[in-house]
Amino acid sequence: MQQVLNWFFRGATGTVRETAKDRMRTMLVSDRLELPAGRIEMLQEELVAVVSRYFELDGETTKFDLQQFERRAQLIANFPLVRSKC
Amino acid sequence: MSGRVIVITSGKGGVGKTTASANIGVALANTGASVALVDMDIGLRNLDILMGLENRVVYNLIDVVEERCKLRQALVKDKKLPNLSLLPAAQTRDKTAVNSEQMKVLCNELRELFEFVIIDSPAGIESGFQNAVAGADEAIVITTPEMSAVRDADRIIGLLEARKDEIKEYRLVLNRIRPAMVKNNDMMSVDDVLEILSVKLLGVVPEDEEVITSTNKGEPVSASENVRSGLAFRNIARRLRGEDVPFMDLDPQNSTWFSRIVKFFNPAVRV
Repeated sequence: MQQVLNWFFRGATGTVRETAKDRMRTMLVSDRLELPAGRIEMLQEELVAVVSRYFELDGETTKFDLQQFERRAQLIANFPLVRSKC
Repeated sequence: MSGRVIVITSGKGGVGKTTASANIGVALANTGASVALVDMDIGLRNLDILMGLENRVVYNLIDVVEERCKLRQALVKDKKLPNLSLLPAAQTRDKTAVNSEQMKVLCNELRELFEFVIIDSPAGIESGFQNAVAGADEAIVITTPEMSAVRDADRIIGLLEARKDEIKEYRLVLNRIRPAMVKNNDMMSVDDVLEILSVKLLGVVPEDEEVITSTNKGEPVSASENVRSGLAFRNIARRLRGEDVPFMDLDPQNSTWFSRIVKFFNPAVRV
């Protein structure tokens, strides 16, 4: 019964179509930048290390995201700062 | 005359380049324009079959390039449309039999004779593709809504962007759309693909069994009235000629009593 109800009230999220679209976006961003696997994670670690020298970071909410704007990729980094370290 | 040279390309094989070439060629010719179809898939000649002209091929593109015949001798006139001609590919040679410089010369010779020169590119991004785009000033990128085809189309768009000086414009044709599956959220929609590729849309062609039948008959589907895929190709031809034609409504007709009840409970659900 639960399944039937879920089917009735499902929206467009979590569908095969959304999965395909998300995989596609991620794949094309790396394709276009000719980005080797793991490179973004490496950059993230280094940036976190640099910012941490100056600020105490809220590690839980640090966010790192590659997005697409037109045919350009954008790196969105979000470093919530707790306090200065000096 | 200085005609437009338009290359039809995709990266991935089997997404409908040759079918699109044949149909866009026929549709353009039916609007009254003079059209040359050029099969650049050297070694894997197919466009002649779709046009039903396989028995009339005497000379081919390589014969022209290697000066064994005049261009006019190699052009095969269509059975029904006197303003449509095919320049067949060689079947017994390979992609290395021609180079980019020779293709530029050939395309310039063709554009003096025809208003539209449609080049059917081979799959891939290697020399065959490079030769096919060498003499072109516009491109049509064709893809289906499958992930692998979209990825390859993106690669092709990147390569076309790198040739901005020669390729002035490129637009997308989305082939084999299955409206019922899109509606069920089982595959990407036209808007999804456009958003991901960030590209201008030239046309949308629904999946249609008539395409297979018409290929077997050697009569491209755009020549038949009352066939949805044929109408889609005719619309593409009109847009190429600068007309503002609205895109087809591909929603499946499925407003049954059941879908209406489901929609009543939750309008967000796509049945």
